[in-house]
Amino acid sequence: MEFSFSSSASKIVSSTAFTSLESGDVIMLGVACLLIYLAIWKKFEPLLLLPMGFGCLLANIPMSMMASTDTGGLLNFFYQGIKHEILPPLIFMGVGALTDFGPLLANPATLLLGAAAQVGVYMTLIGAVFLGFNMQEASAIGIIGGADGPTSIFLASKLAPHLLAPIAVAAYSYMSLVPLIQPPIMKLLTTEEERKIKMEQLKPISQTVKIIFPVAVTIVCCLMLPGVTPLLGMLMLGNMFRESGVTARLHETAETHLINIVTILLALAVGSSMTAESFLRLETLKIIALGLLAFAFATAGGVIFGRIMCKFTGGKVNPLIGSAGVSAVPMAARVSQKVGSDADSSNFLLMHAMGPNVAGVIGSAVAAGVFLSLFGDAGSSMDTHAALAPVIGNPEPGMQALATVVEAIKQ
Amino acid sequence: MEASVSAAVNVSLLAMSVIFTVLIILIFTIQILVKLMPYKAPPAPPAKKVSASTPPGQDDQVAAITATLAAHMGKRPDEFRIVNIQSH
Repeated sequence: MEFSFSSSASKIVSSTAFTSLESGDVIMLGVACLLIYLAIWKKFEPLLLLPMGFGCLLANIPMSMMASTDTGGLLNFFYQGIKHEILPPLIFMGVGALTDFGPLLANPATLLLGAAAQVGVYMTLIGAVFLGFNMQEASAIGIIGGADGPTSIFLASKLAPHLLAPIAVAAYSYMSLVPLIQPPIMKLLTTEEERKIKMEQLKPISQTVKIIFPVAVTIVCCLMLPGVTPLLGMLMLGNMFRESGVTARLHETAETHLINIVTILLALAVGSSMTAESFLRLETLKIIALGLLAFAFATAGGVIFGRIMCKFTGGKVNPLIGSAGVSAVPMAARVSQKVGSDADSSNFLLMHAMGPNVAGVIGSAVAAGVFLSLFGDAGSSMDTHAALAPVIGNPEPGMQALATVVEAIKQ
Repeated sequence: MEASVSAAVNVSLLAMSVIFTVLIILIFTIQILVKLMPYKAPPAPPAKKVSASTPPGQDDQVAAITATLAAHMGKRPDEFRIVNIQSH
């Protein structure tokens, strides 16, 4: 093979990504830099937005094979973790290992606040349908109101994978803006006297109850809404590691290294799906607007139900803890504490708000389960098995028998 | 899938009913568990002396520690005050 300087130089120039760079790629590189800026300098969910922004940066460099759709590319492999519902449940395992359900167990009525805050999900669903989205897309957008990133990604990957990138960006961006979005709504919907209400101390809970609780939640919720089992099951398994007291190493791994590693993979995979074709659309702007609506209605729903509980209990519940029902652990609980202490500096609502806060995690997972029951593909597990057959080989006779039983039950 | 606002409203009402039903079942489950297995206080550890200086900019930590101590000691949070947090 003969080389001349001019032909070699021209070949190198023609092989650079500059020749394939289009205006959409340039805009997306700008979006990536904006996400990185928000993460580093504005501290907006940096653990998520930084790798997500960098994933977006990599995905929009032409010829780099780093987009989620580039089969055989590095981030395409990471994306399989979202597509096959692996990464969000693993994040939930870490969240479960980090979560103390004690405040919720001490005051179980706060579960109702976690349920009431889900009104944001459904107001957004109605708004999304009004703006022209179909039911499955509207469900995936609505769950942004659950203020739970992994749940949003889990549901979007199942019901509207083409909207995954804007939904994930909206969910995590607004979660980081909770301290700005919530206080005005909380102050608007409560009186000064209500904000000053001091709540009774929480009763201590026995360790046995804390150990049995994850099992009870798994049985009750997963039997009623089987579609949500990957999320809730892993959440409760992580919590079992924490509370059982006999799996210290697993607990430590789940709450530190595992959740950190999976966060990197998940955020990079989401970022890799932010290509010009999937992101630079009118739908993205609609989703960003609907996301704000979701958080506002979720906060309002929790606070209004908090006021109802305040009336019914004769003023024993501070309505401010209702806003923590939007999930976004522990940010939303800290906002309740902040607004409460602004009204009365001797008012400590943090632990009381942690009850509805963790109830919000369960509530948003249950909301996702309802959507999956209504709009999910019932045969997806069989499809997944068929898709994996070339990789894992033919199913064993036992698996075939199990599949037959499942089919029989379905019929 | 065809979508209309009225269908979305119906879905929302149904879904909120399911969520409240599931979580109310959980509330009753928790109440039964707490009744069957009440908390038994462990023996109190010996108290440590702390110096009296107020930590600046640690509102969240103070709130969390105050609430935990209140639950442990059976007092209201405004009946005592944390004056110092020491890290080792």
